[in-house]
Amino acid sequence: MNADDMQTKELEERARGLLGESVTRVDARVRSRLNQARHAALEEIAAGQRSFWRRPLFMPATGAVAAAVLVAIVLTAQFRGEGALPVGEGGQAFDDIEMLADNEGLDLIENWDGNFYEWAASEGDEHVDGTSG
Amino acid sequence: MSAFVTLAPVYSMPAVTPGDVDLPDSSSKDRTRALNQFLASVEVKAFKIAQIALRHEDDALDAVQDAMLQLARAYGERPSDEWKPLFYRILENRIRDVQRRRMVRNRVMSWLPFRRGEEDDEAPDPIEQAVSPEPAPGHKLELNEAMQALEKAVQALPKRQQQAFLLRSLEGLDVAETAVAMGCSEGSVKTHYFRALQTLRAQLGDYWS
Repeated sequence: MNADDMQTKELEERARGLLGESVTRVDARVRSRLNQARHAALEEIAAGQRSFWRRPLFMPATGAVAAAVLVAIVLTAQFRGEGALPVGEGGQAFDDIEMLADNEGLDLIENWDGNFYEWAASEGDEHVDGTSG
Repeated sequence: MSAFVTLAPVYSMPAVTPGDVDLPDSSSKDRTRALNQFLASVEVKAFKIAQIALRHEDDALDAVQDAMLQLARAYGERPSDEWKPLFYRILENRIRDVQRRRMVRNRVMSWLPFRRGEEDDEAPDPIEQAVSPEPAPGHKLELNEAMQALEKAVQALPKRQQQAFLLRSLEGLDVAETAVAMGCSEGSVKTHYFRALQTLRAQLGDYWS
């Protein structure tokens, strides 16, 4: 090995040592984020082994099919007039579906103040009775 | 902004435990455990390689995360001794993608002079870049300077030389594994690596002598 090769070899060794040292200096924050990334990759494997229909690709499609079936059942009941569902006057089924799909409906249920509405209804009845009678 | 996910608690997960993932049989768990060990063994070096190539911490983290995900998705079932070169092959592709995107973005930005100021948002934080006021011991200071000089010189290498040098010197891949990772012949790896050493010697020789 000549002097030129020796110098190159020396540089190679020193560079390896420094790069190795730089790896040990990677801070805890970065290591933590790498840890999270690794965990996500392992989750990916677990997700890949879930049952066929639970795969994320099919979940939206399955949900859409379920929604379509629900709509079909409601409409069929509406047009046949079987009364299988508590369907009121014409078009009310659509209102029901809309209400089911409406997130605000849930807020209304969560914040339900039954006493107030009962009182308001009785007041309304009295008012109607009073004006009519 | 980084697209990094936050699925695990900070500073956790030294190894995969049975409750971590919902797998149907023990062979799958063994494979997951093996993949976890493999990724844990390469992640910091991979980050360092990506950081030197991209000069940006978040981009480097994203590239490593993408490579991990891609390996798990596409090659998780492959024999574990194939993982390392495949992983670095994916990582090199991700690094190249980021570099290309930057090139395109810079080209577009050059046509939009009024947006140049926005690029400053991505410049390194001067406070983070500032030298720590704490006096470092002499040896540590020397080491820091040598490390910075080396990283700067490696960053200035042509891309293929940089890849060959980092995969061989930092990750310790052999010539055959480096060839798989770089998608070229073993002869090309030897050539790129040799030229990288020559270039570094020319740049650092005076500094290190």
